[in-house]
Formats: sequence, structure tokens, C-alpha cells
Amino acid sequence: MSDQEDRASLDHIDMSVREILTEMKDTSEVMVDLAYASLMYNSEDMAVKVRELETKMDELKFAIRFKALMSSRTRSDARQLSGLLQVASSADCISDAAGDIVELLEVSPEKRPFISDLLYESDEKIRATRVSESSDMVGHTIGNLAVEACTGCRIIALKNRQGWIYDPEGDVKIRAGDDVIVRGTEDGYGRLIEFATGARPWEFPDDPEDGDEPPSVEEEAASINPEEEGE
Amino acid sequence: MNRLESMLLELKDTSEFMVDLAYSSLLYNNAEIAEEVVFMYGAVGELSSKIQDTIMEIGAEKPEDIGRIVVAVKLQTSIKAIAEAARSIADVVIRGLGEHPVLAMSIRESETTITLAKVSEGSSLAGKRFGDLRLSTNCGMFVIAIKRDRTYVFGPGRDTGIEAGDILIAKGPVEGASYFRDLADGTESL
Repeated sequence: MSDQEDRASLDHIDMSVREILTEMKDTSEVMVDLAYASLMYNSEDMAVKVRELETKMDELKFAIRFKALMSSRTRSDARQLSGLLQVASSADCISDAAGDIVELLEVSPEKRPFISDLLYESDEKIRATRVSESSDMVGHTIGNLAVEACTGCRIIALKNRQGWIYDPEGDVKIRAGDDVIVRGTEDGYGRLIEFATGARPWEFPDDPEDGDEPPSVEEEAASINPEEEGE
Repeated sequence: MNRLESMLLELKDTSEFMVDLAYSSLLYNNAEIAEEVVFMYGAVGELSSKIQDTIMEIGAEKPEDIGRIVVAVKLQTSIKAIAEAARSIADVVIRGLGEHPVLAMSIRESETTITLAKVSEGSSLAGKRFGDLRLSTNCGMFVIAIKRDRTYVFGPGRDTGIEAGDILIAKGPVEGASYFRDLADGTESL
């Protein structure tokens, strides 16, 4: 192994296999949203962000392989880990596809007008709006507002006085005059606009701590999976 | 939109839906859902061939549309790669390699999680149609499949009705998941 590869694996050594896989799933999904958004708004900045994330995905992919192989001791480990690595590699393929989509930015907008129409009609819509001074959202963080749970729209990019933030974290605060680009349904976008313009007061979600513990995956799976015949 | 663009749109929506279904099959290690992803991949293949034929026709009739042709070809390839990735995730389940507990945990801990809920008799969802409920707008949760008795309805539309006893599989933010389950069991109502 070359020193360079060794460093690449050490970069993410603090993350567990589980954390890496979660990160790869999240990153690949936001990359696809950002890639389409870059075409819709003809944004080279967004394309740059997608390429950055593509590089990050490559590193994560290397780290997860390295860690999985290091932890494999038995045939059964190898079986299970091979499934896990295939999922990681699928997430990486999705991120590569997002990287290919942003390459379309190199085609002049006149030659790709249909892409905007197409994205406009898609099930998952990408839309933009501005937060007005009178909006209840002002002064709160994205996480505090639980924007996606309340509107079905996920904020994939936000522009404030400092510039653009792509895939903003929950601790990013919304200020008057911010532009947000969201992914969601038409209906949800309609609702978001009412909130963003201040036409409708924000309905704060109940304290998430109140929420019931989700049932375990095993319990949930048992309700839809056919009963296993004893192995 | 003309025929080519409509087909590309269908391809895009299908590929994204396949990814959601594929992760659901993985979360619950459910081969039936995984098989549906594989089935849809077949449909994606057919649609891709049709798109290719249409692109060739356009190329023959209007060579000046070369820009549009290049864009369509490239977009189709990328979208198909996403469908292929979904199929490859489903393949893990079909091969019986989806048992590693980390797989389910990483989906559960994602920004977009997946959960399921059974609709009780007293739920305000029972007897309604998706189009009237606007679930996604109200709690951010998007129902991707319904299990009714022994069969599945994949990708329910606005006119699809919900009945008591249905098991709804939905994706969305963690904050919306708990409210969604409460709606289904009747603790909360819309």
C-alpha cells in the first residue's frame, strides 16, 4: 500500500463503518438534488460543490473498504461485509451519476432548455424562494423549525449575506432576505412559500424529545416479512 | 413537453423511486420489495431503448438538434446509472447478504429515514385518499409502498385509498416519522 492510500484511510479512521455508510447514503442523495438544481439555476458553484462531494465520496468508499476488510475474520463476516460493501459502492455509483449530470452545465443553456422543463414537472421538484422579514422562520435554525417535517421541503442550498451554503446543517440560522433552494412536492412548496412570506405563522413541531421511540427495525420487519421457517 | 422529454421524465422519477424502494428492501431485509426493484429495472431498460430509438429518429430528421440529442443521451445514461445502483442494492437483499445490522442502522440514522406504520381502525387516515391527505406536506413523510393483506401497492398515487389494516412504508425526516406513526395508529389526527 502506498503512503498516499494509507493517509486516505486514516482521514476517516475516526468514523465507524456505520457512520461512513450513513454519510455515503446522505451525501449521494444530496448530490443528486444539487446536480439537478445546478442545471435548473445554471449554477457553476453548485456544480463545484457536487464535484467536491464526489471526491469526498471516493475517500469514504476507500475508508469503508479498508475498515470492512480489516474487520473480516470468518466466512460469515466476509459474506455479510460483501453485502455491505456492495451497498457502499452503489451509493458511490449514484454520486458518480450526479457528477455526470453536472457535466451537462458545459452545454450552453440554449441547447438544454428542455432540462428545466423536465425538472419542473418531476415528482421531486426543485424550487427557490426568499425568506421575508415578516416570516416566522427568521431567527430560527433549520433544525429548530424542522423545515422538512413541516413542509415536506428539504433545504438543499441557502444564500445569506456570507454567500451560499450547500446542504446546510440543522444549526444554520435563517435570516430575513435569505434565498433558499428546496427539494419537495409542489404542495409542500406552496406551504413553504406561505411560511417564508409570513402569510402563515410557523407551526412549530412538538418537542422531538416527546416523540415515541421508534419501534425497532426487527419489529417493523416482522410485520411485513413472511415468517421464516426455522433455519 | 414532447415525447422524448416525457420519457426522460418518467425515467428520472422511476429511478429515484427505485432508490427509495431499494433502501426499504434493505432496511427490512425484504425480498419482495427487492424483487419489485429488479422488475422496475426491467421496465427502465425498455424505456431506455424507446428513448434511444426516439433520439435516433430526431437525429435523422433534425440533425441541427444535435445539442438536444447530446444532452438527452447523457442525461439518460446518468439516470440509468442511478436505476442500476438501486438494482444493485436490491440485489444484496435477494442474494441474502442484507443481514449485516450496520445496513439497517445506517438507513435509520440517515437524514432521510424510512419507517412503517399500520393504519388502525380509528386512524384519521383510514378511508381517505392520498390526494386529500397531503401527508408529505403535513409531516414530510412520503409513502412509497403499502402492504395490504399479502400484496403490495408500490408508489401509491393521489387517488389511491388508505384502508384500516394497511401497512404504510414511508420515507422522510426523522422529525416527521414519529408524527406519521401517531397518525396511523390514531394517537394524532390531521
